[in-house]
Amino acid sequence: MNSRMVVAVIALGGVFLAAYLTLYHYGYVGSLACGTGGCEVVQASSYAKFIGLPVALWGAGYYASVFFVSVLGSVGPAADKRWPTPVLLALNGWGVLFSGYLTWAEVTRINALCRYCIASALMVVVLFGLSVLDHRARRAK
Amino acid sequence: MAKSVRKQSNSRFVGILVAVGVIGVSFLGYTLSRPRQGIRPVDPNLVAGTAEGYLVGNPDAPVKVMEFADYECPVCAQWAQVTEPDVKERLVKAGVMSIRYFDFPLDSHPNSWSASNAVACGADQGKFEAMKDQVYALQDQWSFATGHRDPTDGLMAAAKNAGLDMALFETCYDTQKHYPRIKANLLEGVRFGVSQTPTFVIGGTVVPGRIPYDQFKQLVDSAAAAVAAATKSGAKAPGKSGE
Repeated sequence: MNSRMVVAVIALGGVFLAAYLTLYHYGYVGSLACGTGGCEVVQASSYAKFIGLPVALWGAGYYASVFFVSVLGSVGPAADKRWPTPVLLALNGWGVLFSGYLTWAEVTRINALCRYCIASALMVVVLFGLSVLDHRARRAK
Repeated sequence: MAKSVRKQSNSRFVGILVAVGVIGVSFLGYTLSRPRQGIRPVDPNLVAGTAEGYLVGNPDAPVKVMEFADYECPVCAQWAQVTEPDVKERLVKAGVMSIRYFDFPLDSHPNSWSASNAVACGADQGKFEAMKDQVYALQDQWSFATGHRDPTDGLMAAAKNAGLDMALFETCYDTQKHYPRIKANLLEGVRFGVSQTPTFVIGGTVVPGRIPYDQFKQLVDSAAAAVAAATKSGAKAPGKSGE
């Protein structure tokens, strides 16, 4: 398996994680309430929305985009093409910046940490690292 | 040779994707279908308390719902702004249920007592709902989480928006005469085992957390059915909490 394939597998896991957090945000799973700490506090904060939509929903869109591009660049018609590499670098670079901002908000503004958000932030860092490896490998060819 | 290795790698890749997909869909399906955590029956030995709360709707409605909420809680504000309008329009106005609101200021929200006091002063002028809605709507302008150590200005703005007589409101607010009432409401929540907000008591069931309208309606329908069955058989219905 090459790094694009690993990116696709992790991104697919991310889609499900983000979908779970979106359902949580809308109250379909878990119990969203004050007085319980952690994820509940983060999900109830003003940082849980971005341009009117839950951050988790943006996350699901981000992971789905990364998954789509990496699958195309692994087994699809673009498997030997160069273009998925810069696209994945750009998507995951943006992901790292946005996750970094959200983690900063959790630590300094909301004063609560959500384990699922931390897990997602770590996944994004790994995705970015793999995109860099993919970029280096393609450039060396 | 290279083609064969690549084909093998692709098959393994697709296999792993399918496995992750199956695990992910199963996980989401499981979390959606499992019973909501924290829902529990009201202690059958619990007798109705003396705390008044604030009643909205027909006092004789078959289902009597209690809500324990903290005005400084963003989740309570979300429920009040997103779900409650549907609940009021489709269930309270239709006479299916009434709802009695109880203050439940959490220790983690230092401005919540002031907000409860402001709402109580609004209720004195017959504008409980208008004041409650405004206090939630302007939560960012007075809550401690948004940097307001003193919530007074934001709560005054809410009172003005709610159309209160400001002279009367300020006198009421400053004297803090409703603090005993707020404490009684809080203690009523403690009696019901409330520890988070919002928490609802629907019929004979305690439901913690924000719930979407469809789940709320299901619980109300179940409580209404229980009341109807109990009325038919002459037994006491488990929907009389909050009376």
